[in-house]
Amino acid sequence: MSTAAEREEQLALISRLRATYPEVPEWPTPDMITHDHFLAYMKTNHDQGGQLNVPEPFANKEEEQWELMTYVLCEVLGWGGIWVSEERRRIANVDVGLPIYLGLPYYSRWLWSVGRLLIEKGYLSWSELTDRLAEVRERYAGGLDGRLPVAEPKFEGDGSTVKRNGFHVDAVGKGDPTMYAGQADKAKFAVGDRVKVRELPALYYTRTPEYVRGAEGTIADLAYESPAPEDETWGREDVKAEWFYIVRFKQTELWDSYSGPASDTLQTEIPERWLQAVG
Amino acid sequence: MSDHDHDHDHDRTVKPMVEEITDFEVLEIALRELCIEKGLFTAEQHRIFTEYSEQIGPTPGARLVARAWLDPEFKKLVTSDPMAASKEVGVDWLDPTGFGTPSDFHAFKVLEDTPKLHHVIVCALCSCYPRPILGNSPEWYRTPNYRRRIVRWPRPVLAEFGLVLPDDVEIRVEDSNQKHRFMVMPMRPEGTEDWSEEQLVEIITRDCVIGVALPKPGVTTNVTTITRPAVRPIAE
Repeated sequence: MSTAAEREEQLALISRLRATYPEVPEWPTPDMITHDHFLAYMKTNHDQGGQLNVPEPFANKEEEQWELMTYVLCEVLGWGGIWVSEERRRIANVDVGLPIYLGLPYYSRWLWSVGRLLIEKGYLSWSELTDRLAEVRERYAGGLDGRLPVAEPKFEGDGSTVKRNGFHVDAVGKGDPTMYAGQADKAKFAVGDRVKVRELPALYYTRTPEYVRGAEGTIADLAYESPAPEDETWGREDVKAEWFYIVRFKQTELWDSYSGPASDTLQTEIPERWLQAVG
Repeated sequence: MSDHDHDHDHDRTVKPMVEEITDFEVLEIALRELCIEKGLFTAEQHRIFTEYSEQIGPTPGARLVARAWLDPEFKKLVTSDPMAASKEVGVDWLDPTGFGTPSDFHAFKVLEDTPKLHHVIVCALCSCYPRPILGNSPEWYRTPNYRRRIVRWPRPVLAEFGLVLPDDVEIRVEDSNQKHRFMVMPMRPEGTEDWSEEQLVEIITRDCVIGVALPKPGVTTNVTTITRPAVRPIAE
Protein backbone atom coordinates (compact mmCIF):
# COMPACT_ATOMS: atom_id res chain seq x y z
CA MET A 1 0.00 0.00 0.00
CA SER A 2 1.41 3.35 -0.90
CA THR A 3 1.28 6.37 1.35
CA ALA A 4 0.30 9.89 0.28
CA ALA A 5 3.97 10.85 0.40
CA GLU A 6 4.98 7.95 -1.83
CA ARG A 7 2.28 8.83 -4.34
CA GLU A 8 3.57 12.39 -4.49
CA GLU A 9 7.12 11.16 -4.91
CA GLN A 10 6.15 8.93 -7.84
CA LEU A 11 4.26 11.81 -9.48
CA ALA A 12 7.32 14.02 -9.11
CA LEU A 13 9.37 11.32 -10.86
CA ILE A 14 6.94 11.13 -13.79
CA SER A 15 6.90 14.93 -14.06
CA ARG A 16 10.62 14.87 -14.83
CA LEU A 17 10.20 12.77 -18.00
CA ARG A 18 10.52 14.96 -21.09
CA ALA A 19 8.91 13.58 -24.23
CA THR A 20 8.56 16.66 -26.46
CA TYR A 21 10.81 19.12 -28.29
CA PRO A 22 11.82 21.94 -25.95
CA GLU A 23 11.13 24.62 -28.58
CA VAL A 24 7.42 23.77 -28.68
CA PRO A 25 5.29 23.73 -25.52
CA GLU A 26 3.64 20.55 -24.33
CA TRP A 27 0.12 20.12 -25.68
CA PRO A 28 0.66 22.45 -28.67
CA THR A 29 -2.01 23.98 -30.84
CA PRO A 30 -1.95 22.96 -34.54
CA ASP A 31 -0.33 26.23 -35.67
CA MET A 32 2.73 25.55 -33.51
CA ILE A 33 3.71 22.38 -35.39
CA THR A 34 5.82 22.71 -38.52
CA HIS A 35 6.02 20.02 -41.20
CA ASP A 36 9.51 19.10 -39.98
CA HIS A 37 8.32 18.63 -36.43
CA PHE A 38 5.39 16.58 -37.67
CA LEU A 39 7.77 14.30 -39.60
CA ALA A 40 10.07 14.01 -36.62
CA TYR A 41 7.23 12.98 -34.30
CA MET A 42 5.87 10.56 -36.88
CA LYS A 43 9.24 8.99 -37.61
CA THR A 44 9.30 5.29 -36.71
CA ASN A 45 11.58 5.48 -33.73
CA HIS A 46 13.48 2.27 -34.43
CA ASP A 47 15.09 4.12 -37.37
CA GLN A 48 18.21 5.36 -35.61
CA GLY A 49 20.74 5.48 -38.48
CA GLY A 50 22.59 8.75 -38.88
CA GLN A 51 21.36 10.46 -35.72
CA LEU A 52 23.90 12.44 -33.75
CA ASN A 53 25.65 10.81 -30.83
CA VAL A 54 28.91 11.35 -29.01
CA PRO A 55 31.23 8.34 -28.81
CA GLU A 56 30.66 6.10 -25.81
CA PRO A 57 32.49 2.94 -24.78
CA PHE A 58 31.17 -0.23 -26.43
CA ALA A 59 30.47 -2.95 -23.90
CA ASN A 60 28.91 -6.38 -23.54
CA LYS A 61 26.38 -7.54 -21.02
CA GLU A 62 25.61 -10.86 -19.47
CA GLU A 63 22.11 -12.07 -20.27
CA GLU A 64 19.45 -12.25 -17.56
CA GLN A 65 17.44 -15.46 -17.32
CA TRP A 66 14.24 -13.49 -18.02
CA GLU A 67 15.85 -12.04 -21.16
CA LEU A 68 16.48 -15.49 -22.60
CA MET A 69 12.97 -16.53 -21.56
CA THR A 70 11.54 -13.45 -23.26
CA TYR A 71 13.37 -14.21 -26.49
CA VAL A 72 12.09 -17.79 -26.37
CA LEU A 73 8.55 -16.62 -25.57
CA CYS A 74 8.50 -14.38 -28.63
CA GLU A 75 9.92 -17.04 -30.90
CA VAL A 76 7.58 -19.84 -29.80
CA LEU A 77 4.61 -17.51 -30.36
CA GLY A 78 5.93 -17.25 -33.93
CA TRP A 79 6.37 -21.02 -34.10
CA GLY A 80 2.75 -21.43 -33.00
CA GLY A 81 1.43 -19.03 -35.64
CA ILE A 82 0.26 -16.39 -33.17
CA TRP A 83 2.31 -13.69 -34.91
CA VAL A 84 5.16 -13.18 -37.36
CA SER A 85 8.32 -11.49 -36.12
CA GLU A 86 7.54 -8.31 -38.07
CA GLU A 87 4.51 -7.76 -35.83
CA ARG A 88 6.80 -7.88 -32.83
CA ARG A 89 9.27 -5.44 -34.38
CA ARG A 90 6.54 -2.84 -34.86
CA ILE A 91 4.98 -3.24 -31.44
CA ALA A 92 8.25 -3.51 -29.51
CA ASN A 93 10.32 -0.95 -31.41
CA VAL A 94 7.88 1.60 -32.76
CA ASP A 95 4.52 1.47 -31.02
CA VAL A 96 6.21 1.78 -27.63
CA GLY A 97 7.04 5.43 -28.30
CA LEU A 98 10.42 7.08 -27.91
CA PRO A 99 10.57 7.39 -24.08
CA ILE A 100 10.17 3.63 -23.61
CA TYR A 101 12.26 2.86 -26.72
CA LEU A 102 15.26 4.67 -25.31
CA GLY A 103 14.41 4.40 -21.62
CA LEU A 104 13.91 0.70 -20.97
CA PRO A 105 16.10 -2.36 -21.63
CA TYR A 106 16.09 -4.04 -25.04
CA TYR A 107 14.29 -7.26 -24.07
CA SER A 108 11.77 -5.48 -21.87
CA ARG A 109 10.29 -4.07 -25.05
CA TRP A 110 10.07 -7.55 -26.58
CA LEU A 111 8.22 -8.55 -23.42
CA TRP A 112 5.91 -5.54 -23.51
CA SER A 113 5.00 -6.39 -27.10
CA VAL A 114 3.79 -9.87 -26.14
CA GLY A 115 1.14 -8.64 -23.70
CA ARG A 116 0.09 -5.91 -26.06
CA LEU A 117 -0.28 -8.32 -29.00
CA LEU A 118 -2.18 -10.97 -27.06
CA ILE A 119 -4.69 -8.46 -25.73
CA GLU A 120 -5.13 -6.74 -29.09
CA LYS A 121 -5.70 -10.02 -30.91
CA GLY A 122 -8.13 -11.22 -28.26
CA TYR A 123 -6.07 -14.13 -26.94
CA LEU A 124 -6.00 -12.57 -23.49
CA SER A 125 -8.10 -10.04 -21.64
CA TRP A 126 -6.63 -7.13 -19.76
CA SER A 127 -8.10 -8.54 -16.54
CA GLU A 128 -6.55 -11.95 -17.05
CA LEU A 129 -3.14 -10.39 -17.47
CA THR A 130 -3.58 -8.00 -14.57
CA ASP A 131 -4.80 -10.70 -12.22
CA ARG A 132 -1.90 -12.94 -13.15
CA LEU A 133 0.63 -10.18 -12.67
CA ALA A 134 -0.73 -9.57 -9.18
CA GLU A 135 -0.73 -13.30 -8.46
CA VAL A 136 2.89 -13.79 -9.54
CA ARG A 137 3.99 -10.79 -7.51
CA GLU A 138 2.14 -12.18 -4.50
CA ARG A 139 4.03 -15.51 -4.78
CA TYR A 140 7.27 -13.64 -4.20
CA ALA A 141 5.90 -11.01 -1.80
CA GLY A 142 8.47 -11.70 0.89
CA GLY A 143 11.37 -11.49 -1.53
CA LEU A 144 13.03 -14.26 -3.47
CA ASP A 145 14.90 -15.54 -0.45
CA GLY A 146 17.42 -17.40 -2.59
CA ARG A 147 14.78 -18.83 -4.93
CA LEU A 148 14.80 -18.28 -8.69
CA PRO A 149 11.54 -17.00 -10.17
CA VAL A 150 9.75 -19.80 -12.04
CA ALA A 151 6.71 -20.03 -14.28
CA GLU A 152 4.05 -22.36 -12.88
CA PRO A 153 1.29 -22.82 -15.46
CA LYS A 154 -1.79 -24.29 -13.75
CA PHE A 155 -2.39 -26.67 -16.68
CA GLU A 156 -1.50 -27.04 -20.34
CA GLY A 157 -4.33 -25.73 -22.50
CA ASP A 158 -5.85 -27.41 -25.54
CA GLY A 159 -4.45 -25.50 -28.49
CA SER A 160 -6.57 -27.19 -31.16
CA THR A 161 -9.11 -24.36 -31.48
CA VAL A 162 -6.62 -21.48 -31.19
CA LYS A 163 -6.66 -19.11 -34.17
CA ARG A 164 -3.28 -19.26 -35.93
CA ASN A 165 -1.82 -17.77 -39.08
CA GLY A 166 -1.30 -19.82 -42.23
CA PHE A 167 2.33 -18.79 -42.34
CA HIS A 168 3.55 -21.12 -39.60
CA VAL A 169 2.33 -24.09 -41.66
CA ASP A 170 3.13 -22.80 -45.16
CA ALA A 171 6.71 -21.95 -44.23
CA VAL A 172 7.63 -25.43 -42.97
CA GLY A 173 10.39 -27.02 -44.98
CA LYS A 174 10.97 -23.83 -46.95
CA GLY A 175 11.65 -20.92 -44.62
CA ASP A 176 10.88 -17.24 -45.03
CA PRO A 177 11.40 -15.60 -47.58
CA THR A 178 12.32 -18.75 -49.59
CA MET A 179 8.64 -19.72 -49.43
CA TYR A 180 7.68 -16.74 -51.62
CA ALA A 181 10.01 -17.59 -54.52
CA GLY A 182 8.25 -17.27 -57.86
CA GLN A 183 5.31 -15.26 -56.51
CA ALA A 184 6.33 -11.70 -57.38
CA ASP A 185 5.84 -9.95 -60.71
CA LYS A 186 8.90 -9.75 -62.91
CA ALA A 187 11.64 -7.68 -61.28
CA LYS A 188 11.54 -4.06 -62.44
CA PHE A 189 15.24 -3.50 -61.90
CA ALA A 190 18.42 -5.37 -62.77
CA VAL A 191 21.89 -5.38 -61.22
CA GLY A 192 23.68 -2.17 -62.18
CA ASP A 193 20.50 -0.10 -62.64
CA ARG A 194 20.45 3.37 -61.12
CA VAL A 195 17.54 3.88 -58.74
CA LYS A 196 16.23 6.55 -56.44
CA VAL A 197 14.59 5.79 -53.12
CA ARG A 198 11.08 7.25 -53.10
CA GLU A 199 10.08 9.64 -50.35
CA LEU A 200 6.83 8.00 -49.35
CA PRO A 201 4.86 9.52 -46.48
CA ALA A 202 5.34 6.39 -44.38
CA LEU A 203 3.17 6.54 -41.29
CA TYR A 204 3.16 3.89 -38.52
CA TYR A 205 5.77 1.54 -39.96
CA THR A 206 8.51 1.08 -42.48
CA ARG A 207 11.93 -0.53 -42.72
CA THR A 208 13.29 1.79 -45.38
CA PRO A 209 15.59 4.04 -43.37
CA GLU A 210 15.07 7.79 -43.49
CA TYR A 211 18.74 8.34 -44.28
CA VAL A 212 18.40 6.81 -47.77
CA ARG A 213 15.07 8.35 -48.75
CA GLY A 214 15.50 10.59 -51.76
CA ALA A 215 19.02 9.27 -52.35
CA GLU A 216 20.25 7.64 -55.56
CA GLY A 217 22.04 4.34 -55.64
CA THR A 218 22.80 1.30 -57.76
CA ILE A 219 21.17 -2.12 -57.65
CA ALA A 220 23.88 -4.43 -56.28
CA ASP A 221 21.77 -7.60 -56.06
CA LEU A 222 18.26 -8.98 -56.42
CA ALA A 223 17.73 -10.22 -52.89
CA TYR A 224 14.51 -12.32 -52.80
CA GLU A 225 10.76 -12.09 -53.17
CA SER A 226 8.67 -11.31 -50.10
CA PRO A 227 5.69 -9.30 -48.93
CA ALA A 228 6.89 -5.91 -47.73
CA PRO A 229 7.38 -5.46 -43.97
CA GLU A 230 4.97 -2.50 -44.05
CA ASP A 231 2.23 -5.09 -44.72
CA GLU A 232 3.62 -8.06 -42.79
CA THR A 233 3.80 -6.00 -39.63
CA TRP A 234 -0.02 -5.98 -39.36
CA GLY A 235 -0.19 -9.76 -39.70
CA ARG A 236 -1.72 -9.55 -43.18
CA GLU A 237 -1.40 -12.69 -45.25
CA ASP A 238 -3.25 -11.53 -48.36
CA VAL A 239 -0.42 -9.41 -49.72
CA LYS A 240 1.47 -10.22 -52.90
CA ALA A 241 5.23 -10.71 -52.72
CA GLU A 242 7.49 -8.21 -54.46
CA TRP A 243 11.18 -8.13 -55.29
CA PHE A 244 13.65 -6.84 -52.73
CA TYR A 245 16.95 -5.36 -53.83
CA ILE A 246 20.29 -4.72 -52.21
CA VAL A 247 21.02 -1.13 -53.14
CA ARG A 248 24.52 0.36 -53.00
CA PHE A 249 25.00 4.02 -52.13
CA LYS A 250 28.10 6.16 -52.17
CA GLN A 251 28.67 7.52 -48.67
CA THR A 252 29.64 10.92 -50.07
CA GLU A 253 26.21 11.09 -51.72
CA LEU A 254 24.29 9.90 -48.64
CA TRP A 255 25.89 12.39 -46.28
CA ASP A 256 26.66 16.02 -47.01
CA SER A 257 29.45 16.05 -44.45
CA TYR A 258 31.03 12.65 -45.21
CA SER A 259 34.76 13.09 -44.81
CA GLY A 260 36.02 9.61 -45.74
CA PRO A 261 37.29 8.57 -49.18
CA ALA A 262 34.92 8.78 -52.16
CA SER A 263 35.08 5.02 -52.63
CA ASP A 264 33.30 4.22 -49.31
CA THR A 265 29.84 2.72 -49.74
CA LEU A 266 26.78 1.57 -47.83
CA GLN A 267 24.32 -1.14 -48.84
CA THR A 268 20.83 -1.73 -47.60
CA GLU A 269 17.85 -3.81 -48.68
CA ILE A 270 14.79 -2.12 -50.12
CA PRO A 271 11.48 -3.47 -51.46
CA GLU A 272 10.52 -2.54 -55.02
CA ARG A 273 7.66 -0.23 -54.01
CA TRP A 274 10.24 2.15 -52.53
CA LEU A 275 12.35 2.44 -55.68
CA GLN A 276 12.04 4.41 -58.90
CA ALA A 277 14.23 4.37 -62.00
CA VAL A 278 16.72 7.19 -62.49
CA GLY A 279 17.42 8.78 -65.87
CA MET B 1 17.61 2.52 27.07
CA SER B 2 17.97 2.70 23.36
CA ASP B 3 18.93 5.99 21.84
CA HIS B 4 16.78 5.03 18.91
CA ASP B 5 13.30 5.04 20.40
CA HIS B 6 12.23 8.43 19.17
CA ASP B 7 9.65 8.85 16.46
CA HIS B 8 11.59 9.02 13.25
CA ASP B 9 11.15 8.68 9.54
CA HIS B 10 13.87 6.20 8.66
CA ASP B 11 11.26 4.08 6.94
CA ARG B 12 10.98 6.71 4.26
CA THR B 13 14.56 6.38 3.23
CA VAL B 14 15.96 3.11 4.48
CA LYS B 15 14.44 -0.02 3.02
CA PRO B 16 15.33 -3.48 4.26
CA MET B 17 17.66 -5.40 1.93
CA VAL B 18 15.36 -7.94 0.34
CA GLU B 19 16.08 -9.59 -2.97
CA GLU B 20 12.93 -8.70 -4.88
CA ILE B 21 11.58 -10.22 -8.07
CA THR B 22 11.89 -7.64 -10.86
CA ASP B 23 9.03 -6.15 -12.88
CA PHE B 24 10.43 -7.87 -15.97
CA GLU B 25 10.47 -11.29 -14.33
CA VAL B 26 6.88 -10.89 -13.13
CA LEU B 27 5.69 -9.93 -16.61
CA GLU B 28 7.57 -12.72 -18.34
CA ILE B 29 6.29 -15.38 -15.95
CA ALA B 30 2.69 -14.15 -16.11
CA LEU B 31 2.68 -14.07 -19.92
CA ARG B 32 4.35 -17.45 -20.30
CA GLU B 33 1.93 -19.11 -17.88
CA LEU B 34 -1.10 -17.64 -19.62
CA CYS B 35 0.18 -18.60 -23.09
CA ILE B 36 0.64 -22.22 -22.02
CA GLU B 37 -2.75 -22.32 -20.28
CA LYS B 38 -4.41 -20.92 -23.42
CA GLY B 39 -2.63 -23.47 -25.61
CA LEU B 40 -0.89 -20.83 -27.74
CA PHE B 41 2.21 -22.99 -27.66
CA THR B 42 3.15 -26.12 -25.75
CA ALA B 43 5.54 -26.42 -22.83
CA GLU B 44 7.43 -28.86 -25.07
CA GLN B 45 7.89 -26.24 -27.80
CA HIS B 46 9.14 -23.81 -25.18
CA ARG B 47 11.62 -26.39 -23.91
CA ILE B 48 12.87 -27.24 -27.41
CA PHE B 49 13.37 -23.60 -28.34
CA THR B 50 15.14 -22.86 -25.06
CA GLU B 51 17.56 -25.73 -25.67
CA TYR B 52 18.15 -24.50 -29.20
CA SER B 53 18.86 -20.97 -27.98
CA GLU B 54 21.28 -22.13 -25.33
CA GLN B 55 23.51 -23.96 -27.81
CA ILE B 56 23.92 -21.29 -30.50
CA GLY B 57 27.16 -19.32 -30.54
CA PRO B 58 29.82 -17.84 -32.82
CA THR B 59 31.87 -21.01 -33.41
CA PRO B 60 30.06 -22.30 -36.54
CA GLY B 61 30.55 -18.89 -38.17
CA ALA B 62 34.26 -18.99 -37.39
CA ARG B 63 34.50 -22.54 -38.70
CA LEU B 64 32.77 -21.52 -41.93
CA VAL B 65 35.42 -18.85 -42.51
CA ALA B 66 38.35 -21.08 -41.52
CA ARG B 67 37.20 -23.84 -43.86
CA ALA B 68 36.74 -21.35 -46.71
CA TRP B 69 40.31 -20.14 -46.16
CA LEU B 70 41.60 -23.70 -46.37
CA ASP B 71 39.42 -25.07 -49.14
CA PRO B 72 38.76 -23.04 -52.31
CA GLU B 73 35.87 -25.34 -53.26
CA PHE B 74 34.18 -24.71 -49.93
CA LYS B 75 34.76 -21.00 -50.37
CA LYS B 76 32.83 -21.16 -53.64
CA LEU B 77 29.99 -22.91 -51.82
CA VAL B 78 29.96 -20.20 -49.13
CA THR B 79 29.30 -17.51 -51.72
CA SER B 80 27.08 -19.52 -54.09
CA ASP B 81 24.97 -21.43 -51.55
CA PRO B 82 25.49 -20.13 -48.00
CA MET B 83 22.66 -22.32 -46.66
CA ALA B 84 24.43 -25.47 -47.89
CA ALA B 85 27.76 -24.17 -46.55
CA SER B 86 26.12 -23.54 -43.16
CA LYS B 87 24.98 -27.15 -43.02
CA GLU B 88 28.58 -28.24 -43.51
CA VAL B 89 29.46 -26.51 -40.24
CA GLY B 90 26.42 -27.94 -38.46
CA VAL B 91 23.90 -25.14 -38.88
CA ASP B 92 20.53 -25.82 -40.50
CA TRP B 93 18.73 -22.50 -40.90
CA LEU B 94 15.37 -24.34 -40.82
CA ASP B 95 15.98 -25.43 -37.21
CA PRO B 96 14.36 -25.71 -34.73
CA THR B 97 10.83 -25.14 -36.06
CA GLY B 98 11.07 -26.54 -39.58
CA PHE B 99 10.98 -22.99 -40.94
CA GLY B 100 13.86 -21.54 -38.97
CA THR B 101 13.85 -19.19 -36.02
CA PRO B 102 10.97 -16.77 -36.62
CA SER B 103 13.16 -13.70 -36.16
CA ASP B 104 16.18 -14.69 -38.26
CA PHE B 105 14.54 -15.75 -41.53
CA HIS B 106 16.07 -17.96 -44.20
CA ALA B 107 18.25 -15.61 -46.26
CA PHE B 108 21.93 -15.57 -45.42
CA LYS B 109 24.83 -13.95 -47.22
CA VAL B 110 28.55 -13.97 -46.48
CA LEU B 111 30.38 -10.77 -47.41
CA GLU B 112 33.87 -11.50 -48.68
CA ASP B 113 36.58 -8.98 -47.88
CA THR B 114 39.37 -8.34 -50.41
CA PRO B 115 42.59 -6.30 -50.22
CA LYS B 116 40.54 -3.31 -51.47
CA LEU B 117 37.19 -3.92 -49.74
CA HIS B 118 36.25 -4.20 -46.07
CA HIS B 119 32.71 -4.97 -44.86
CA VAL B 120 31.06 -4.14 -41.54
CA ILE B 121 27.51 -5.10 -40.55
CA VAL B 122 24.84 -3.30 -38.56
CA CYS B 123 21.09 -3.23 -38.24
CA ALA B 124 20.28 0.46 -37.87
CA LEU B 125 16.63 -0.45 -37.15
CA CYS B 126 16.96 -3.03 -34.40
CA SER B 127 19.50 -5.81 -34.00
CA CYS B 128 19.15 -8.12 -37.01
CA TYR B 129 22.06 -10.55 -36.75
CA PRO B 130 22.73 -14.08 -38.06
CA ARG B 131 21.80 -15.74 -34.74
CA PRO B 132 21.70 -19.36 -35.97
CA ILE B 133 25.36 -19.24 -37.01
CA LEU B 134 26.80 -16.60 -34.60
CA GLY B 135 24.57 -16.78 -31.52
CA ASN B 136 23.19 -13.66 -29.90
CA SER B 137 24.50 -10.25 -30.85
CA PRO B 138 26.65 -8.40 -28.32
CA GLU B 139 24.95 -5.61 -26.39
CA TRP B 140 26.96 -2.85 -28.09
CA TYR B 141 25.77 -4.04 -31.51
CA ARG B 142 22.18 -3.32 -30.40
CA THR B 143 22.81 0.11 -28.92
CA PRO B 144 21.52 3.24 -30.65
CA ASN B 145 25.07 4.60 -30.45
CA TYR B 146 26.56 1.94 -32.75
CA ARG B 147 23.49 1.96 -35.02
CA ARG B 148 23.34 5.74 -35.33
CA ARG B 149 27.02 6.24 -36.04
CA ILE B 150 28.40 3.26 -37.99
CA VAL B 151 26.26 4.04 -41.04
CA ARG B 152 27.46 7.66 -41.16
CA TRP B 153 30.91 7.69 -39.56
CA PRO B 154 32.23 4.16 -40.21
CA ARG B 155 35.91 5.08 -40.10
CA PRO B 156 35.80 6.92 -36.75
CA VAL B 157 33.66 4.15 -35.22
CA LEU B 158 35.97 1.40 -36.48
CA ALA B 159 38.89 3.39 -35.08
CA GLU B 160 37.20 3.20 -31.65
CA PHE B 161 37.46 -0.58 -32.01
CA GLY B 162 41.13 -0.13 -32.87
CA LEU B 163 40.65 -0.77 -36.58
CA VAL B 164 42.16 1.85 -38.86
CA LEU B 165 42.09 1.11 -42.59
CA PRO B 166 43.93 3.01 -45.33
CA ASP B 167 41.95 5.26 -47.67
CA ASP B 168 42.48 2.95 -50.64
CA VAL B 169 40.42 0.25 -48.91
CA GLU B 170 36.73 0.81 -49.56
CA ILE B 171 34.64 0.46 -46.43
CA ARG B 172 31.23 -0.98 -47.18
CA VAL B 173 28.64 -0.78 -44.42
CA GLU B 174 25.93 -3.42 -44.78
CA ASP B 175 22.77 -2.27 -43.04
CA SER B 176 20.79 -5.51 -42.64
CA ASN B 177 17.42 -3.85 -42.28
CA GLN B 178 15.22 -6.53 -43.89
CA LYS B 179 15.26 -10.34 -44.13
CA HIS B 180 18.84 -11.00 -45.18
CA ARG B 181 21.29 -11.84 -42.43
CA PHE B 182 24.94 -11.09 -43.09
CA MET B 183 28.34 -12.17 -41.86
CA VAL B 184 31.76 -10.93 -42.92
CA MET B 185 34.43 -13.24 -44.29
CA PRO B 186 37.69 -11.46 -43.50
CA MET B 187 40.94 -12.17 -45.32
CA ARG B 188 43.28 -14.79 -43.94
CA PRO B 189 46.08 -13.00 -42.12
CA GLU B 190 49.75 -13.52 -42.79
CA GLY B 191 51.60 -15.82 -40.44
CA THR B 192 48.92 -18.54 -40.52
CA GLU B 193 50.17 -20.41 -43.60
CA ASP B 194 50.54 -23.87 -42.06
CA TRP B 195 47.72 -23.55 -39.51
CA SER B 196 45.00 -26.16 -39.02
CA GLU B 197 41.26 -25.38 -39.12
CA GLU B 198 41.17 -25.55 -35.31
CA GLN B 199 43.96 -23.00 -34.99
CA LEU B 200 42.29 -20.67 -37.49
CA VAL B 201 38.91 -20.90 -35.74
CA GLU B 202 40.55 -19.53 -32.59
CA ILE B 203 41.49 -16.20 -34.18
CA ILE B 204 38.23 -15.68 -36.11
CA THR B 205 36.45 -13.88 -33.30
CA ARG B 206 32.87 -12.69 -33.32
CA ASP B 207 34.11 -9.14 -33.82
CA CYS B 208 36.00 -10.24 -36.97
CA VAL B 209 32.83 -11.58 -38.59
CA ILE B 210 30.88 -8.44 -37.65
CA GLY B 211 33.69 -6.48 -39.29
CA VAL B 212 34.91 -4.33 -36.40
CA ALA B 213 38.19 -6.25 -36.12
CA LEU B 214 40.61 -8.19 -38.33
CA PRO B 215 41.87 -11.67 -37.47
CA LYS B 216 45.41 -11.67 -36.18
CA PRO B 217 47.70 -14.46 -34.96
CA GLY B 218 47.76 -14.38 -31.18
CA VAL B 219 44.46 -12.54 -30.77
CA THR B 220 41.64 -14.86 -29.72
CA THR B 221 39.38 -12.46 -27.82
CA ASN B 222 36.96 -9.78 -28.89
CA VAL B 223 38.01 -6.14 -28.80
CA THR B 224 35.74 -5.26 -25.92
CA THR B 225 35.70 -7.73 -23.09
CA ILE B 226 34.06 -5.41 -20.54
CA THR B 227 30.87 -7.19 -19.52
CA ARG B 228 28.16 -5.90 -17.25
CA PRO B 229 27.04 -8.80 -15.07
CA ALA B 230 23.38 -9.87 -14.91
CA VAL B 231 21.37 -9.75 -11.67
CA ARG B 232 20.13 -13.30 -12.21
CA PRO B 233 22.06 -14.75 -15.16
CA ILE B 234 20.89 -17.65 -17.28
CA ALA B 235 20.47 -20.65 -15.00
CA GLU B 236 22.74 -23.61 -15.69
